[in-house]
Amino acid sequence: MASINLHGNSYEVDEDGFLQEPDKWTEDVAKAMAEMEGITDLNETHWKVMNYLRDYFKQNGIAPMVRKLTKDTGVNLKEMYELFPQGPANSACKWAGLPKPTGCV
Amino acid sequence: MARTDIGPPDYRLMLPETITSNYGKWKYHEILKPGVMKHVSETGDELYTVRAGSPRLVSIDFIRDICDIADKYCDGHLRFTSRFNIELMTPKKENVDGIIGDLKKLGLPIGGIGDCISNIVHTQGWIHCHSAATDASGLVKSIMDELYEYFTEFKLHAKLRIAVACCINMCGAVHCSDLAVVGIHTTPPKVNHEKLASTCEIPSVIASCPTGAIRRHSDKNINSVEVREERCMYCGNCYTVCPSMPLADPDGDGVAIYVGGKVSNSRKPPMFSRLAVPFIPNNPPRWPEVTSILKKIVEVYARDSKKYERLGEWIQRIGWERFFALTNIPFTEQHIDDFTYATETFRATTQFKW
Repeated sequence: MASINLHGNSYEVDEDGFLQEPDKWTEDVAKAMAEMEGITDLNETHWKVMNYLRDYFKQNGIAPMVRKLTKDTGVNLKEMYELFPQGPANSACKWAGLPKPTGCV
Repeated sequence: MARTDIGPPDYRLMLPETITSNYGKWKYHEILKPGVMKHVSETGDELYTVRAGSPRLVSIDFIRDICDIADKYCDGHLRFTSRFNIELMTPKKENVDGIIGDLKKLGLPIGGIGDCISNIVHTQGWIHCHSAATDASGLVKSIMDELYEYFTEFKLHAKLRIAVACCINMCGAVHCSDLAVVGIHTTPPKVNHEKLASTCEIPSVIASCPTGAIRRHSDKNINSVEVREERCMYCGNCYTVCPSMPLADPDGDGVAIYVGGKVSNSRKPPMFSRLAVPFIPNNPPRWPEVTSILKKIVEVYARDSKKYERLGEWIQRIGWERFFALTNIPFTEQHIDDFTYATETFRATTQFKW
């Protein structure tokens, strides 16, 4: 298991950079992960999407379907890719500290 | 930013001249000999095709080698078939022997056209996949070595399709092939309770189980799942959605053999393949038990079938009890379906052969 250093703190991550210790997630973790993908300042919509993902995961134990995510946040898929370079699963879920999407991805 | 969403290149830009000028105007074709076809157009043009087997998993050097042959005889054109065979096409009959000679120099077998065993549709196996219960490339090489003569000669009464899938996700065509080899597990998953909650979505894990064997951990303090082993049939679906439930086991994993599927609508409608051998343990690198039983089935089928009769049609004609008797495969309780629509597969008639 690899670990990354973000602002002086060490976090356990898997080979794709997904956080393995969800309890350690903070807003700084999200900021640092976004920076690694070239997004230096997270705006309001970024946070709206990530907070929605975290709330949904906390309530339901799963990440929302893309349709649910776009409907509830009002951010359509095209905008989602503009905000999160690798898309809702690989960027948004990763920055929000959710587990890595599985299955035949 | 780089241009995106441009799709694949237009196939029409890569067609040989003879195909472009005769597109949609073909009159008939004939198979001249194993691996060689001739298409004749309404304009009188002829196109000769030489088909050679390939191992599917190839190096770039291999691709360059066949490109060299295409440059030499086919104006730089070649194609791959839907079973990963290579086809080199030329309008000149005198080029055919040269193509065959050069392909043979590379060690590629010429064949796969007509009533024969063409290439094996297969998957990743231990080369690349995390959920494999058996290998694909190794198994395919062992099987094709054993059945080589059926690729290069016409020794059957109809086509015989073989497919290999390394787990029951069944990527490829195992569920609809005359002979199919599928990797299976025989041990339940081992749950990693410490890691599960941080790496998996528990509701998805529970919903992934086809038999409802997974439920939340009975201890409320442990955020994890439990597997009721008496309900588990080791499909590995839960491992696909949750990396903390591995079930691969070197001694427990192996293959099952299915028979009698087809996709074409000729004569009989398409059929699913059905279980013939429930379990054979993995025995790399040559899987001798698997190859010998496949060869046995092919030989009995080749001897006993009628002209044009696919393996599934042959079994429908002679009946399953005759199939098991002729091939000497023991019929076990694993052969009896016990999933959702099992009753449809039971015998609801007094007709049977002793």
